[in-house]
Amino acid sequence: MIKQCLIGVLIAGGLQTGYAQSPDRINLSDPNLVIVDDSVIPIPLEIFASLDKLGSQNWSAQVEKRDIVLDTNRSRTAMLFGLIVSDGFIAVQAEDKDGVKRMGREVLRLASVLGISNSVESHANSIITHAGHGEWDVVRKELDRTRQTAINQMKQQQDEELVDLVSLGGWLGGTEALAAVLKENYTLEGSDLLNQIDLVRQLKSDFNSLPKRARRGKLFSQVEKTLTHLESLMISDASGSISEGKVIEISLSTRNLVNAIYES
Amino acid sequence: MKADFKMLFCLKRLIPSLLVASAFLSVSAQDSKEEPLPVLEKIDPIKLAAQRAALGDLTGEKPFILRESGWKGTINPGEARLVQIQLFRRNEYQFWLAMGDRKSELNLNIYDGEGQKVESEEITYDETNVVSNRVKPALTGVYYVRISLKTTIEDPQEWSMIYAYR
Repeated sequence: MIKQCLIGVLIAGGLQTGYAQSPDRINLSDPNLVIVDDSVIPIPLEIFASLDKLGSQNWSAQVEKRDIVLDTNRSRTAMLFGLIVSDGFIAVQAEDKDGVKRMGREVLRLASVLGISNSVESHANSIITHAGHGEWDVVRKELDRTRQTAINQMKQQQDEELVDLVSLGGWLGGTEALAAVLKENYTLEGSDLLNQIDLVRQLKSDFNSLPKRARRGKLFSQVEKTLTHLESLMISDASGSISEGKVIEISLSTRNLVNAIYES
Repeated sequence: MKADFKMLFCLKRLIPSLLVASAFLSVSAQDSKEEPLPVLEKIDPIKLAAQRAALGDLTGEKPFILRESGWKGTINPGEARLVQIQLFRRNEYQFWLAMGDRKSELNLNIYDGEGQKVESEEITYDETNVVSNRVKPALTGVYYVRISLKTTIEDPQEWSMIYAYR
């Protein structure tokens, strides 16, 4: 009886303090855990900020001028939108005024095709203006706002599938640039930034959850194959590093997919 | 404190402008058949509370850079939620969590991909319905931000969380 009371008191006390104090460890396989659905994908600048702490990088070499030929495939256009915004982040990192202005104009064109130009127009114009003055802090903020505003507007328009594709395109563009920089200047320390296996799994799961009509065709088969391939490559060793061979493979793989999205 | 006052002052001036703009946009929408006009985002007072708490850390010599993205939801007293996020070594991150009722008391902690609580700096404010946490991840990878609402109040609370990096 005393034992039972004692257990009762201990449980009650545990609950009381349990709510006041957070546990030192959580069991991530506990089916009662409530994980928030909304996923936030890191923007390239977050990753570049970490790499730049190891020394200055040649971001200028990653700024590319590509022609975009649009077609009626809105899924591809959404991925291009994400890619273009990530190109903007790379151009900001390289402090390339012309590159950023060009990207601002492309954002406007793609937004118009996606039916969201009214939402992103002010941000895109602000990017063009502030890039001209070299006000990089403002441009950085406006780029993130452009991306988030586009996503919010797509959600309002019930274009949820496009949201995932914009996020995927943005992540892909940033990862391609990161892998290319690491390939040119490989360090064990820097390679850990490609340890993104959970993120790839999440992106792959989001992509596979899209309705089939949104991912029909050769390009989207390549997206799925590339994500599966990246999942096998973005596994770090005990120190968190990714081998040089894997970095080269990640660079090639992401490069091929980015080219396919632009050229298809 | 000064920054808070300035922001409130700006908001007071901004709200009438937003209402006018919103009315203008809804009238214009009737004339346009090309593209739906944007619906102005409503000001979320809970997110605003988190943003107000963040203000001081977004300026100065080594300012944090606030992300536009964030999370929100509803939580019951005594419950917890986990937010999954990819963090990068060498960066420092700060999270701000706010809830609606000023009497609510919150916990905000960071766990690594194995579920182990990581060392972080908890920052509290005069109001107990806002809390912040700063962390320098030891490794690049997935982390979990655990938020919980203590049982000091009875009603479920809406919550909003934002984050920044540097």
